[in-house]
Amino acid sequence: MADHITSKLNPDSNLLLDQPLLRLPFELLRKNFKVAHFHVEKESTAVKSTLRDTANASLNSHASPDDVLKNVDSMLARMRGLKRKLEACAEEEARLQQQSQSRVRHLGELYSMQSLDDVKYERWSRTRLDRLLVDYLLRNGYKDSATALAKEKGINDLVDVETFIQMSRIRESLRNGRVTEALAWCNENKKDLRRMESNLEFMLRFQQYVELVRTQDQSKLLESITHAKKYLTPFKDSYPREVQQACGLLAFPPGTQARPYNDLYSQTRWNTLANLFMETHNSLLALPSVPLLHIALSAGLSALKTPSCHSSHISSISSISPTSSSSITTSVCPICSTELNSLARNVPYAHHTKSHVESDLVLLPNGCVYGRERLEEYSKRAGLDDNVVKDLRSGETFSIDDLKKVYIS
Amino acid sequence: MDALQLELAKLRRDANLSQSIQDVDNIIAQLENARESIVSDRNSTSITLAKLQNPLKSGFDKVNDDLKKIHKGHSNYGKALDKHFPVKALPTEYDALASHPSLINRAIAMHFLREGQFQVATTFLDEALDNPPQPVPTPGTPNPSASESEDFTSLNVEELQAKFANMYEVLRELKNRNLHPAIEWARINSHELEKRGSNLEYELNQLQFVWLFQGPQVNGLPDDANNGVGGALRYARENFGSFQGRFQRHIQQLATGMAFKSNLKDSPYQRIFNTETVWDDVSASFTREFCTLMGRSADSPLYTAATAGVIALPTLIKLASIVKEKRTEWTTQNELPVEIPLPRSMIFHPIFVCPVSKEQTTEENPPMMMPCGHVIAKESLNRLGLRVGRFKCPYCPNESQPKDARELIM
Repeated sequence: MADHITSKLNPDSNLLLDQPLLRLPFELLRKNFKVAHFHVEKESTAVKSTLRDTANASLNSHASPDDVLKNVDSMLARMRGLKRKLEACAEEEARLQQQSQSRVRHLGELYSMQSLDDVKYERWSRTRLDRLLVDYLLRNGYKDSATALAKEKGINDLVDVETFIQMSRIRESLRNGRVTEALAWCNENKKDLRRMESNLEFMLRFQQYVELVRTQDQSKLLESITHAKKYLTPFKDSYPREVQQACGLLAFPPGTQARPYNDLYSQTRWNTLANLFMETHNSLLALPSVPLLHIALSAGLSALKTPSCHSSHISSISSISPTSSSSITTSVCPICSTELNSLARNVPYAHHTKSHVESDLVLLPNGCVYGRERLEEYSKRAGLDDNVVKDLRSGETFSIDDLKKVYIS
Repeated sequence: MDALQLELAKLRRDANLSQSIQDVDNIIAQLENARESIVSDRNSTSITLAKLQNPLKSGFDKVNDDLKKIHKGHSNYGKALDKHFPVKALPTEYDALASHPSLINRAIAMHFLREGQFQVATTFLDEALDNPPQPVPTPGTPNPSASESEDFTSLNVEELQAKFANMYEVLRELKNRNLHPAIEWARINSHELEKRGSNLEYELNQLQFVWLFQGPQVNGLPDDANNGVGGALRYARENFGSFQGRFQRHIQQLATGMAFKSNLKDSPYQRIFNTETVWDDVSASFTREFCTLMGRSADSPLYTAATAGVIALPTLIKLASIVKEKRTEWTTQNELPVEIPLPRSMIFHPIFVCPVSKEQTTEENPPMMMPCGHVIAKESLNRLGLRVGRFKCPYCPNESQPKDARELIM
């Protein structure tokens, strides 16, 4: 048979969509380690210098034993705090490692399967669909549905509910016109953002500035200038246009028709910021920028779509699969099914270089073409005589002598 | 994946924070000791503090050393990840779906309903209605319309849910070896099923007959007049009347099979009376018929499409990279430029590719059969007959005119 019908399973290329599954916990693991490292650095410098100062003071009899004790206590408190923080990190670390372990095992299952027709592959692939759905739901902020689905399917270790919930919380706060959460996030990931040369923090600060100017309140305007001096002008080399616009903005009160200043006052900028945040967040954690479900469906709809899927012809409603010769009744094509039909309208249809039709086709006098075997089986089941056949769609009956053989090359 | 599993095990064993916590504990112990000796002997304060400096410093060095180990473990694991699970770019530039989020939501809601996840479906519908998604313009649809959300609300959730709940109820009963709800459903839809050429109604009845025939030891039903051979016979008399025309042969076989009751295993009718796999088959064909009568495919379309998408991705990624090099845009055409290998079970429509033009036939360009029985697309036919009127079939010596050709409905 033609080589474009295949049931060979190539695990490596079948896992393209599953890259974030291992990448994300790894990125989180690294982030977690950085947090731990940061705490250790901070506390060790503080404790070491306190100890040195106390020792020197005590040596030079500047400090009474009580003062020394107070300092020792403060050092102890610091160290105990550090231990608590490290323990929290260790817990998170164990969770992430456990998660990676389950995921590697889950992905590994695919390597034990040989064929796309394997029953095990179907089960695996269903779990994948559930994962894609959870990913889609989370990215759109439908966290209750996502949690419910993950729980019902028992795939909590395979999806990243926490990460996305945190993300959508920050995104929501931006959409509602608040920068605090987003700025805190920027601060947490300062180093990585700088390495990525992200403009997120600058844009947030810029928006803060716009909001200050928007009030047109004298004290706020003064504050806006200090804000600009602190957060905007230092970046005038990286973002010259924005900094200039910021300066110019002072001359244009809200409600101005002058471009680009009316755009700067526009409320849609909050949405732009929310999207910018999402983009930055996703690229920081090595997540694809669009929901995985979109990628899978875009490709899948095209691969399955045929010219008859959106035709008005009767045949599209009850078409007969050329491959399911075992059963006389047929199932509906997924693209023709109501769920996906309108979605698939915009995607290109699949390319074929070989015909796929039933073997031994015959033509009925009304123009319909069927496989002879199917036609005879159907007529027999309908309780007809041996020399009469019945159209599978219209129900018309014809004499077997009126059939004409069709040659498909 | 096995290699990765090993690396991960190594990471879990060698690179964790427990050692560092131990180190911090040691430092705390040293501080506590120092504190005690200061409290007990106030004169030793300076000497204790002086003596504490070096151990404390080396304690912190130890913490740092252990942290370095973790860092090293991470970078090793990262390398292994790169090696065994290399990052491949996904085609994210073109997203045909972003402009139809409400259609996706609708498809997902239907998916949940058809999978019987009614709880999740309800949660999802609530959330999605409270928080409708925003369409994003794409090259395919530059001006997404907001009115699409009507599609979502027009989705008759209660009705769908009721229907699928009914389906799952019947399936559950089938699992419990109770055929009555399924037979009831088949009787109600008898006409449509027959029109589709489905034998489901008869198959269910036959199974019920065999099930009763096998008697109380097998089916566990009460041993009364409605069970066993007598019960089966009575069932047949009451219910098989309407099948006599279409399934006479089958019924005859059942009747003859009864005569072999004492040694069915060796009889020619063993196949009919063996119910081991029949239950699963009946459940599967019930699901298929049920969904088809509702105009749905038997498998969740979302599942089929996503799986097909994963299979298609490698080809599409390769294509995208070539297209990028050549700076052309394939999405503007309405057909993919490459063939995507799919398993057999994913071909749903008959596909006819014209042997002359090598194009798939469409509604506007249907397949035409020449009098000799060979088939080509209408456009090819017209082109062949354009100048001469009469032309030779590309596949045999037969000559014909375009008007002699007949349109085929595949």
